[in-house]
Amino acid sequence: MSHLKTENLSYVYGEGTPFKITALDNVNIDLEKGELVAIIGHTGSGKSTLVQHLNGLLKPTEGKIFLDDENIWESKSKVYDTRFRVGLCFQYPEYQLFESTVYKDIAFGPTNMGLNEKEIDERVRSAAKYVGIPDGMLAKSPFDLSGGEKRRVAIAGVISMEPEVLILDEPTSGLDPRGREQILGLIKNYREKTGKTVIIVSHSMDDVARFATKVIVMNDSRVENSGTVDEIFENSSRLSEIGLSVPQITEIFIRLKKMGYPVSEKVYTVEQGHSELMRLFAERGIV
Amino acid sequence: MIKDITIGQYFPMNSPIHRLDPRTKLLFATVYIVMTFVSNNFVGLLFCFITACIVIAVSKIPVKTVLKGLRPILLIVIITSLLQIAYVKTGIVLVDVWRIKITSGGILMAVFMTVRIALLIVMSTMLTYTTSPTSLTNGLDRIFAPLKKIGIDFHTVTMIMTIALRFIPTLIEEVDKIMNAQKSRGANFDNGNIIKRAKALIPLFIPLLFNSIRRAYELANAMTCRCYNGGKGKTTMNALKMKKGDYFAVIISAAFVAGVILLNIYCGEYNAEFTFNAAV
Repeated sequence: MSHLKTENLSYVYGEGTPFKITALDNVNIDLEKGELVAIIGHTGSGKSTLVQHLNGLLKPTEGKIFLDDENIWESKSKVYDTRFRVGLCFQYPEYQLFESTVYKDIAFGPTNMGLNEKEIDERVRSAAKYVGIPDGMLAKSPFDLSGGEKRRVAIAGVISMEPEVLILDEPTSGLDPRGREQILGLIKNYREKTGKTVIIVSHSMDDVARFATKVIVMNDSRVENSGTVDEIFENSSRLSEIGLSVPQITEIFIRLKKMGYPVSEKVYTVEQGHSELMRLFAERGIV
Repeated sequence: MIKDITIGQYFPMNSPIHRLDPRTKLLFATVYIVMTFVSNNFVGLLFCFITACIVIAVSKIPVKTVLKGLRPILLIVIITSLLQIAYVKTGIVLVDVWRIKITSGGILMAVFMTVRIALLIVMSTMLTYTTSPTSLTNGLDRIFAPLKKIGIDFHTVTMIMTIALRFIPTLIEEVDKIMNAQKSRGANFDNGNIIKRAKALIPLFIPLLFNSIRRAYELANAMTCRCYNGGKGKTTMNALKMKKGDYFAVIISAAFVAGVILLNIYCGEYNAEFTFNAAV
């Protein structure tokens, strides 16, 4: 059954001014429950505009959005409800923290949902656990934390609403390698434990290849292509045409093949690369 | 809501008005604003209105865009109008119910003030619509440069203005972003009573303030790195030069002043009270 779906979705910014831009042009996507979807595309391809439609922040100029087969714009209360059911975490979310303590900031969403104190407390603590925030940190001011910690607090602020769909817009941008690994690990962990749908907007093809079960490629306000990691990265020349690339490891294997080594080009993660190389070594009697 | 604020916005077009020297435009806008207040009768105000229409037509900026600039001041206009209606008690009594007494003079005065405020806002938005922020501050810099002789360094003021104008779009964008982020967590900015609404702004203003201070530090560092040391010995790449069109605009400004003064002298009796009496 389709979980989250858009139908002929179009969006135009600044209609009637000389700055009019079509940000989305007839976008149709269809996501199933429990998928980890990666949306890729170069800057300005419409990724962020698309995800802001999925939780009802932007009203489509044309087209519809369905959550569990119900139109989210059917009534005002439904839109408000959708904000809690589809949790959206913006790019650089750490700049949106505002409360005096980490605890209160994570509790902002659940409080707005009108939950009672006990439920709020449970949710805050379990969200903090998911993102690896120790109990001792909950009483601190969010402004005293490091960049990576702030980012995790901000993500916890969305997770605490326990949304059915979690959307993260470039969750790893601007972080060091360790911070990135932590964030990606917690997202993967969250999905595996809760079985909920997760959508990630990403620039990193390596991360996409490692985690995604489905990839949506955006180009020039449209959906260029969608499918599994293998299906998407197979066509490396088309991806580079639209300003994207394949994972670094794939590029290495494409180069190896060009140099005459009998390797497969369909290598998208370091693990796959490792076993492919081992296969080659075994074939040649090196190991 | 936030996107309706057009004051300080630049609207790029290729028109004779866009090409004018910023000093000329500053002169005309100042003269115009002063003269709408000097004008004391409906004929004079009509003259100001026609002048504004000509300016808008020549600038090629869509009328709709100009009118959009009036939306934020709607509340001020309504309050001013109500005050005029409440306090001006001249002319014929139109309504007299309980303690409310509305007179013809009050209504005409309200119309007069509304038009005056609208013209004022339209002309000041036209100034920023047709002049890029850099060119505007360049103009101000040059106009007030002589103040240095009496110890006032106006360059600092214009630099502050340039930075402020430069960051208006950035701040608007940021307000939008933070609002969306908090809305995604269920914040409600549109409903509730006034106290609830004021409280709802806390999640918006705290991050905004925090980020602005952070940005100010970053900008200060970036400026220091590029050896900014105030206006000392600074020259400009595009030195301002008055052209033929500018002298023409100066003459028009003078003609405008003369026109309003003459209309004040000769049509002074067409004020709020008279117009109504004549109509009756």
